[in-house]
Amino acid sequence: MNAATETPASSRFGAFALVFGICFAILYVICDMAALPLFTYHPGTDRIDFGYAPARRDEGPAMYWYGWLASSALGASLFGILAALLPEKVRGKIPSALAWIVPVVLLPVLIYSLKFYWRW
Amino acid sequence: MDFILDYISVNTFWTILFMVHALLAVALLGALTHQAAAVLSRPRTSAAGGFITRFRSVSGPSYAAAVCVLWVLTFIFGGWIYAKYRIYVRIPIEQEGFYKTLGAFELKEHFTTIGLGFLPFYWHLWKNARNAAFDSARKWLTVVLAGICWYAFLTGHILNNVRGFGL
Repeated sequence: MNAATETPASSRFGAFALVFGICFAILYVICDMAALPLFTYHPGTDRIDFGYAPARRDEGPAMYWYGWLASSALGASLFGILAALLPEKVRGKIPSALAWIVPVVLLPVLIYSLKFYWRW
Repeated sequence: MDFILDYISVNTFWTILFMVHALLAVALLGALTHQAAAVLSRPRTSAAGGFITRFRSVSGPSYAAAVCVLWVLTFIFGGWIYAKYRIYVRIPIEQEGFYKTLGAFELKEHFTTIGLGFLPFYWHLWKNARNAAFDSARKWLTVVLAGICWYAFLTGHILNNVRGFGL
């Protein structure tokens, strides 16, 4: 494919990077809202539990953010690799505008997911 | 890392980490703001002109690798101090009832994480800066990342004013 017809996602790396970014963002929001961390970290005791684990009595809070990151990165990597394996014609049709549209669309979803904090 | 604590206090250690995180964020903010200004309104004349013209006259591609490295480093330091924040900063703020401050900070964590995921594509877009087909995506993704960076910087600053490390 020459430079004139090349799109941001027509190369294998471009397709991987674009699909990785989109899927990472969407999966991260799903993992956050559906409580799907790959692991749970308990900072008070440095304990790590696989999957979701509630905070333990007298051991401080549980942290899920690291686990959401891991879940999203794993899922997005799989989708990214699949996108990179697509034929060049198909890869080239993935709209690169999704790279900025997806974060903008997810903004109100994330604000809603934090509704617990917006108390007046 | 424990040997460091033979020389400095635990509070000093975490405060240093936080300061490194904050300084990296300042550098990232500067780089991304220059780049976003350059893609939003490229000046017709180079070199000559006032402060605004010079501010947006930077060569965007030369900033891309630095932005990626700074974002990742800032993120790593942020993720490192996040565990201490969860216990020593967030809990007292919860007890004082500053829920909107906490919510704004949670949103910062979400935004910066999403921004992290788009860095490979951002780098790819800037690596091909001469390809006109990449212009629109490059422009708007850069602007979105700059917006995330500004939000994260200001929110982090506010939270540190409410209760920083070492208190």
